[in-house]
Amino acid sequence: MKKRLFKTFFNELNKTPPYNEKSNELEIQLKEQDISTHYEQSLTTFKSIFSYPQNTDIKVREFTIRSLNRRAFIIFISTMVDHKSIQDSIVEKLIENQVPSGNIADIISYPMERTAANIGEITDYICGGVTALFIDGDSQCYIFETTKVRGRGIEKTDNEIIVKGAKESFNERVADNIGLLRKKIKNENLIVESKVISKRSRNDVFLVYEKDLVNDKLLQKIKERLDSIDSDKILDLSILEQHLEERPRSLFPTILYTERPDRAASYIEEGHIILLMSNSPSCLIMPATFWSLIHSPEDHYLRTPYGNFIRILRFAALFVAVFTSSLYIAITNYHVGMIPPDLLMAIAGTRERVPLPSIIEILMMEMAFELIREAGLRVPSPIGPTIGIVGALILGQAAVQANIISPIVIIVIALSGLSSFIISDISMNFAIRLARFLFIFAAGFLGIYGATAFFMASLFYLVSLKSFGIPYFAPMTPHSISSKDLIVRHVPFKERFRPGYLKPKDLVRQRKG
Amino acid sequence: MSQQSGKLGIREYVSIVILMVGTKPTGDLPTALYSMVQSAGWMIPLISAGIFFIPLFLLVKTMMLYQNQNLFSIIQKLFGKYIGSIVCFIIFIISSSIISIDTRTYTNIIRTFYFTTTPNLIIYSILMLVCAYGAKKGIQHIGSAAYLVVYYAVLSLIIALILSFQDSNIQGIFPFWGPGKLEILKGSSKSLYIFLDFFLFAMLIPNFQSTKDFLKGTWVAYICVCIQISAVVLVFISLFDTSLGGIAYPFHSEIRYISLGSYLPNVEIFFFVIWIMGAFIRFTAFLYINVQMFCHIFKIKDYEYLIPAIATLYLLIGSIPETPFDVGLVIKPIITNVVGPSFALISIILWLTAWLKGEFKHANNKEMV
Repeated sequence: MKKRLFKTFFNELNKTPPYNEKSNELEIQLKEQDISTHYEQSLTTFKSIFSYPQNTDIKVREFTIRSLNRRAFIIFISTMVDHKSIQDSIVEKLIENQVPSGNIADIISYPMERTAANIGEITDYICGGVTALFIDGDSQCYIFETTKVRGRGIEKTDNEIIVKGAKESFNERVADNIGLLRKKIKNENLIVESKVISKRSRNDVFLVYEKDLVNDKLLQKIKERLDSIDSDKILDLSILEQHLEERPRSLFPTILYTERPDRAASYIEEGHIILLMSNSPSCLIMPATFWSLIHSPEDHYLRTPYGNFIRILRFAALFVAVFTSSLYIAITNYHVGMIPPDLLMAIAGTRERVPLPSIIEILMMEMAFELIREAGLRVPSPIGPTIGIVGALILGQAAVQANIISPIVIIVIALSGLSSFIISDISMNFAIRLARFLFIFAAGFLGIYGATAFFMASLFYLVSLKSFGIPYFAPMTPHSISSKDLIVRHVPFKERFRPGYLKPKDLVRQRKG
Repeated sequence: MSQQSGKLGIREYVSIVILMVGTKPTGDLPTALYSMVQSAGWMIPLISAGIFFIPLFLLVKTMMLYQNQNLFSIIQKLFGKYIGSIVCFIIFIISSSIISIDTRTYTNIIRTFYFTTTPNLIIYSILMLVCAYGAKKGIQHIGSAAYLVVYYAVLSLIIALILSFQDSNIQGIFPFWGPGKLEILKGSSKSLYIFLDFFLFAMLIPNFQSTKDFLKGTWVAYICVCIQISAVVLVFISLFDTSLGGIAYPFHSEIRYISLGSYLPNVEIFFFVIWIMGAFIRFTAFLYINVQMFCHIFKIKDYEYLIPAIATLYLLIGSIPETPFDVGLVIKPIITNVVGPSFALISIILWLTAWLKGEFKHANNKEMV
């Protein structure tokens, strides 16, 4: 496998040399070899591989193991290891040990130990924060997992805020993230599988699923998709998301991106597959349907009537966010008769002095709203609130007073803008905001008929979307067995089925009686 | 990746049928019925449904003999290669002219009632564009879209009907038998075309999850639809009474007439939106079926590329009549009078051929073995 990988690599190089690349054939050949038993030779090999001492955080420490009377050295990357444990349980033990014993495992008290001989393999280990111990005369090298990467701790969720329920979120350390999931699902069937996906930075991805639930075909499909990625680096899960999606140019997302471990755990329990990656404070849930992108974990944490209330509110907000602006344009431009006469007079009165057509008004204000929103997101947090006030007060009030915008447009924009915040999934949020502009153009072109025609076309498009073979509106249409958690949800003990469209190995959550 | 891999479930099928057949009385059907038998117009859908039940039953029975084969392949199998192909071609021509005329009728409605200054061609081409796009997505996705829309469509229809109750007069249905029982029977046999879509749905059998779904769905939808049409016509008769004969599109007159209290006097746009959504689904499914027919006759495998061309063709054919009157009063009656009986006849002959050829016995023997 590895050989083939290199072969294709070389073929690529030979085929298209746009400029003279430096050949790294020697290094690659070197990495294929095993380490030598000669102390000095391995020392120079690894010093040259890691460009020691030019590479400042590579540490090489040479010493003599007194009990064996043999030369040895350890090599590690100081910014990725736990210094104290190296000092305490490896170096000190080796130097101070008096009892003559040939077995390194008896001398060193560090818990995790392994041996390796291949130079390339050892190099990979060291890059991952491992300490390697070389002893003169040994054909094996000892590997200690001393990795300790720096990062922030487990904090509260920033983007998916809920009132009732768990508050902790994923962070950039994948070990913590897996731990958070294990903490919630205490089951031996929870599998954490790792996979290296990129060639140069060697980023690894962790697939998390429950072995006795997940559909094997689906798992296979996702693994194949992961294997087919051909990229030298994928630094973040959000980039991996784009690699994985079937339609990366589509307006609508087909993978759920969340930073909440409780949400991830609940999807694992339904038979979904979760992807984690180091350096990403989030996870990808696959496959995702329209419903999972619209739902929020709080729908389930709140009592049934309250949960359903906010869910219906959210669906209303969805429609308000998408259609209010276009409806305003359609009605004021094409279907004036629909407005009650009093209201019509009021609107006409406010629009009297505005010189612009209403579609320009709406587009201007929509753009302004998006600007305020984006600016508010990017400015350093101390200035943030000021921007909001400037945007809302100055832009809105002044625009009305200057007769550029009629007051009713402000209401329309504020309503649709506010509603768009209710959709918590960031991709869905963008999809809706962009769809709103398309609907504005459609309504500007042909009133309500244009907007409806566009809506039908997008409905045809949406139902044809698939996330890893799962239709976007499943299990509503096409129908499959599920706990009917779509627009409204039942009380928890009535939700007896896992989603049937996933074809999980165990469909029924709780048997009756 | 194939977008057409999916199969049609029973829910999706029934939704398509309800949107295709059940929305017919929102066009010019009630007027046609009223001018035929006056106050007894609401009975016609029920009686024609009763009459059409026999050929449909025989058709379904014949279709059940062959699992997963569409109407045309069975026609060709039973009638032989040449006669079969001719019959198929005739069916295709008839249904093509129906879709051309119906789309034109809907364009006329949109233009007369809502967009009086927009050119016909623009309204028409947008209608066909969306339908072509939807048809390209395949029948499963049309079904899914239909299922998402159908509840709102039926609900809005019911609301529209209920809102008109306060001004309607149930005594409009008298005289009960209209011009006489014989006239009603004659009118019913002329109105078989209401249910011709059921005949065409037999084209879709290979796309079903199981043939049983088709069987069950057909009868469920058949009952729903004939009650729905009859109820709508009944409401229109009691609302408009004798003036119904002079109103071209009663549904649209009605939604203009009704109001939500005194504050919202004009709510027609709300109903229009849902009506037009149903219309899009209807013509999308119809277009899809027609394209399937065409592909079967001329043995074309990739139907996707054919859809825009055929949609354009229908657009052009539909644009030929110069006025809505030509469409509604001159051309349409000719086709509708021919279509219903001829499709019923084809169904019966189909069954007879199968019976005489002993196909049913074969099937029984197979089951026994």
